[in-house]
Amino acid sequence: MPFLELDVLQSSTPEEPEGVLGIDLGTTNSLVAIWKKDRPVILRPDPELDDARIPSALFFAGPGHVTVGRQARALAADEPHHAIFSVKRFMGRGLADVGEDRKSVPFDLREDDKQQLFFDVHGMDMSPQELSALILREAHQAATKALGEEAPRKCVITVPAYFDDPQRQATRDAARIAGLEVLRIVNEPTAASLAYGLDQQSQGTVCVYDLGGGTFDVTILNIEDGVFRVLATAGDTHLGGDDFDRVLVDLALGELEAPESVKTDAGFLTGLRLAAERTKHELSVRESADLHVVAPRHGVAWRRTVTREEFESRIAVHLERTLAACKLALSDAGLEANSIDEVILVGGSTRIPAVSRAVGSFFGKTPQSGLNPDEVVALGAAVQGHVLAGGTRDVLLLDVTPLSLGLETYGGATSKIIQRNSPIPSQATEGYTTQADNQTGIQFHVVQGEREMAADCRTLGRFELKGIPPMPAGMPRIAVRFAIDADGILTVTAKEESTGTNASIEVRPMHGLDDDEVERMLHASFENAQSDFDASRAANLRVELATMMAAVEKNFVQVQTALDRESIEDLEEARANVTAALAQADTPVAALQAVRDALEQAALPMAAQLMDAVAKKALSGKSFSQMSEED
Amino acid sequence: MTACTSCGVELQTPLVCGACGALQDPGTEPAPHEVFGLDPSFHVDVKDVEKRLMKLSRALHPDFFAGADEATRELAERNTARANAAFELLTDPVALADWWILELGGPAEKDERQMPPAFLMEVMEWNEAIDDADGSDDRASRLAPLSNELESQRASVLDTVVRAFDSLPHPPSDLVAVRRQLNVIRYLNRALARIRGEVNAL
Repeated sequence: MPFLELDVLQSSTPEEPEGVLGIDLGTTNSLVAIWKKDRPVILRPDPELDDARIPSALFFAGPGHVTVGRQARALAADEPHHAIFSVKRFMGRGLADVGEDRKSVPFDLREDDKQQLFFDVHGMDMSPQELSALILREAHQAATKALGEEAPRKCVITVPAYFDDPQRQATRDAARIAGLEVLRIVNEPTAASLAYGLDQQSQGTVCVYDLGGGTFDVTILNIEDGVFRVLATAGDTHLGGDDFDRVLVDLALGELEAPESVKTDAGFLTGLRLAAERTKHELSVRESADLHVVAPRHGVAWRRTVTREEFESRIAVHLERTLAACKLALSDAGLEANSIDEVILVGGSTRIPAVSRAVGSFFGKTPQSGLNPDEVVALGAAVQGHVLAGGTRDVLLLDVTPLSLGLETYGGATSKIIQRNSPIPSQATEGYTTQADNQTGIQFHVVQGEREMAADCRTLGRFELKGIPPMPAGMPRIAVRFAIDADGILTVTAKEESTGTNASIEVRPMHGLDDDEVERMLHASFENAQSDFDASRAANLRVELATMMAAVEKNFVQVQTALDRESIEDLEEARANVTAALAQADTPVAALQAVRDALEQAALPMAAQLMDAVAKKALSGKSFSQMSEED
Repeated sequence: MTACTSCGVELQTPLVCGACGALQDPGTEPAPHEVFGLDPSFHVDVKDVEKRLMKLSRALHPDFFAGADEATRELAERNTARANAAFELLTDPVALADWWILELGGPAEKDERQMPPAFLMEVMEWNEAIDDADGSDDRASRLAPLSNELESQRASVLDTVVRAFDSLPHPPSDLVAVRRQLNVIRYLNRALARIRGEVNAL
């Protein structure tokens, strides 16, 4: 009898699977996609705009005021000391891990006793998870706008393949704080391979080279009959476009003349980094570009031309690091560079000509870049969302854990219990017993990484087994099960087996946010969400009303004689209402909106007169509010 | 073999029913060969086991149970992890030998640590040779003969281990001896890893 011919499974897919968002939560930009009918599509909130990316930027004008995305990025150019970029680099990290990145954020940073980071944002403690949650919320709103209806709350979020456990946990917590339900965390290069595999009907051994804004991954996988099976992955969670920007920033800092206090000012550095990023982008399309730094606040105006050759020679050392990771992944997969059938470039940084050249010569073949390297990860996440919604059983993603899981043994060495590149979900069981009579607890130290000594690896937790039944030393037989789930996240469970009672044993990790904290942040963010939104809407309405009133005042005198009595009375009443609404500091948004609409309505006869009398041609077809904007 | 808890058809694997697709809870950890519906043996066709793993993944993977209740989702995770772990065991003779020794009631690694003094002398000699070569410019070429010698020694000890299990399903006559051979392999692996520069001297 053949082994497992499961025809029964193929027919069980629903007609209309529910929608699941695919979210690429990037270091520099984020993007949302969804499955529509027969393919994944990018959700574009602004149909006018070709670029659907949401900059992963946050701007805090004052306490409780946040702007996210494109607008935040624009505001940051003028007031960099209020902006945060590259939050992803702080996810699941402690103070000791962030090093140089700390300098790039103009807010103080501290950590609590669980090595959880917090930014001091205008007196408010904000964890990287909460900041990422703000970006995710913006992404969800963008999706809602693009869909024209409330976007699904279920989602698939991508992370770099080389993200370790705390970084994945932090991503999952960020989504929870944003009010999203994460069905799966998918590795970015694997997601990209899904999108490519379906689009180009790829088969065989594929290498995905993913160089993003802040992270680098290389993944080698086999695609056969709809099964995307990862063979090996390697990378660096701290290598990407940010580093190429920094090359130019360092160049500028070395040459421009300014006091040390300016050169270390976080606001100045952010402005410089944005300028460097523009120069980098230009160098991808032309042979030389200007690096131009203007900071009137600091009395700096500096310009110099950078050639592509100069830039390439300065980033060469970073490209070498990516190729070293490619070698490691190949060796772990048991393959040679020439046995790769197809090389796929993913991530905005692969637009740099030197990158595709280096990759091409390493693998001895021209890399594929048929799909937009910025969009392919989100598209793949949407494919996986479709699979998880039960939309198809024809596609299956089999991924691996990027880093070995180990336990600290006597003498501080690491004993590996799950090897890197093991397929996930993965499990290992270790037996424990007690050293002393009636001992009821045992501590063990779980680490992730490849180094021989536990102290050199990343601590996932100092777990504590509690509630062991009192027995003579060596009698209890405790089986501790370490499981890495399909999200790449560790869970530890324990069972005492000798008594046969399966006494449940509590295992407490020590890292990141606990459930109570996530819960609290979830509520805090929901309470703030509406009031933040209202506050900014009210501010916008007030500005608009002031502009409209000025326009009415200016034009009223001219056309007064031509207007009938009723129109004049209507207009005066509307103006009085606006004045009253503006005089109160706490006028609700709805009331502001009402007086605005009334004013616009009352001003229509006046606008008609104006058009007749003054500029019928020039103003034809324009509404009053448009006229007042131009005024 | 037992029957499916859902449709009653005889199971090919303790993880899932091949007739109705219902996930099965084996309770305890199943033997690696059982997971793939194979007889106990050390001589596996890796390509065949790989195909079976893919079929199991198609039936078990948590991606296909995302909409199910929590207990089913958890069972899908656990059974897929079980299938993956069984594959690793079946395709790694050292790990499989370790599993069988424990399964048959033989000594665990930590219970049988004694090595013959002559062997330990040999280990010291390897380490000295590596220490001597460490830091020299021609380290790799100086260590090449030792590396080749250790590799061939490893291959021959592993062959002895695998042949000891030819008796399956009957247990090998001397499990302690097999455990000692696994220990020898452990020492060899460590020395080879040192030569490759993956680990340092303790």
